[in-house]
Amino acid sequence: MSNNAAPRRVIPIVEVAEDSLYEVRRKVYPRAVTGTFARWRWTLVWFTQILYYGMCWMPWNGRQAVLFHLVERKFYIFGMVLWPQDVFFLAVLLIISAFSLFLFTAVAGRLWCGYACPQTVYTEIFLWVEKFFQGDRAQRMRRDAARWKPENAARRFAKYFTWAAISLWTGFTFVGYFSPMNELVDSVLNWQVGPWELFWILFYGGSTYMGAGVLREQVCKYMCPYARFQSVMFDADTLVITYDTERGEARGGRKKGLVNRDIASASGMGDCVDCSICVQVCPTGIDIRNGLQYECIGCGACIDACDQVMEKMEYPKGLIRYSTQNALAKHWQLGDIVRHIVRPRILIYSTLLVLVGSAFIWGLASKPALRVDVSRDRASLAREVEGGLIENVYRLHVMNVSEVTRRYAVSVSGLSGIEFVGEHIIEVPATSAQSTTLRVRAPADGKRGAHVIYFDVKSIADERIKVHEKASFIQP
Amino acid sequence: MRMISVVLWPAFLVGGIAEGLFFTVINPQELYLFGHPVTYSPLATYSIGFFAFWALCAASSALTFLLLRSAEDINRQA
Repeated sequence: MSNNAAPRRVIPIVEVAEDSLYEVRRKVYPRAVTGTFARWRWTLVWFTQILYYGMCWMPWNGRQAVLFHLVERKFYIFGMVLWPQDVFFLAVLLIISAFSLFLFTAVAGRLWCGYACPQTVYTEIFLWVEKFFQGDRAQRMRRDAARWKPENAARRFAKYFTWAAISLWTGFTFVGYFSPMNELVDSVLNWQVGPWELFWILFYGGSTYMGAGVLREQVCKYMCPYARFQSVMFDADTLVITYDTERGEARGGRKKGLVNRDIASASGMGDCVDCSICVQVCPTGIDIRNGLQYECIGCGACIDACDQVMEKMEYPKGLIRYSTQNALAKHWQLGDIVRHIVRPRILIYSTLLVLVGSAFIWGLASKPALRVDVSRDRASLAREVEGGLIENVYRLHVMNVSEVTRRYAVSVSGLSGIEFVGEHIIEVPATSAQSTTLRVRAPADGKRGAHVIYFDVKSIADERIKVHEKASFIQP
Repeated sequence: MRMISVVLWPAFLVGGIAEGLFFTVINPQELYLFGHPVTYSPLATYSIGFFAFWALCAASSALTFLLLRSAEDINRQA
């Protein structure tokens, strides 16, 4: 071996640290909280869940009041029946929901997340169960530290069991909105639930359990698309949960003799006593004192917690409060904040919402009670029949969108001497459709090609319910 | 876990939207499978349709996931 050999070039390999996409999760043990915003949240939990669990049991005209019947492809919403032809309304409804979300977010931040989102609502319910069996934050942490002590394990399994029961019921209710509840109940009682129904009950129940019991704040932080783009709807006048840094800092615990606000302030201390309760109550485990963060779901738990501490300290409430960026910077009063709600962004969202909303209501109100589809039977060609007549065959699809059985008179016009063989009176049960075949005959007039004819379908009981439908008659 | 959250989850959301759009326009009873009318129950068709959409969207997400890997990441494993 020669020492003269050129030294081997060493390409340094940079050791890349395994960069995990997400930080290791520290389990959040939210501390229970009471106060104004907690009351609002519980009110909404009750409101939304009474609607959700209750509505599917409500009868209406001898059927389920709210049912999105997938098999029949009909959506029943109280007195309204939507057919696939009405998908337009669903699209408009989605647009309305989107604009409402934009508007609420621009005015007061993540109201939806903090009070009405199912993730929040079920987490609230599951946390209540957790507290019932395992106690509040400190107790839960202690019990989790010795998780296999018989008592702790028993409490934990009681909690799991209750969660599972709530989840199953939630899944069952969910399927009851898409498959008629009475049939579903029968099938459950007879142990004959269809495989797909069972699957979706378990799927939705499982998602509830995972979302509210296991994943919790991770759903909001890592899975929710809304959390990622909410900031584009925010501006400096949006109400958000804020910590008043100017008033709070320098934070710190109070020794005896420093509790009095004036004395504390004279020695350079702010109002924040650094009790960390605002962090303990936070369901996403953030510290609101670091400023607005995308993890904040706007639930207001820290406001409730801080207000209670301020009250105990005999300091003014509102160290953490709903305020706007401008209000904090410019020391605005409530009146100024309210005045700044009216701004171009809000006006545009509101105008669009009112326009689309009115169009939606107008559209629903003027939805026809009868729909008719006419299609020429392509399988049978136009042909000559006895008496020198030409015959075309049509399929008439009569959809009775109303909630009463109706009889309709069918007539045809557009060519001289036109008449048809087939049912002249069609009876269609409530909210269903009937198809019938009509053999339409007209004298051959020598003009070959397509001729426009009209079908008229009229309700016999109510003259106003009628449809005038165009079709083409082929002369060979 | 990372795979689940960045591949399966967005695919689930978009798959759900695709399912909704597809079946509001198309009646499952009017579908043909390899030239034969679909004979499954509507609920089964909806469910199978959903999983098909989910799987397709997941495939797309997975490709994105694969293409996003950095050079170091690929070299290190070789």
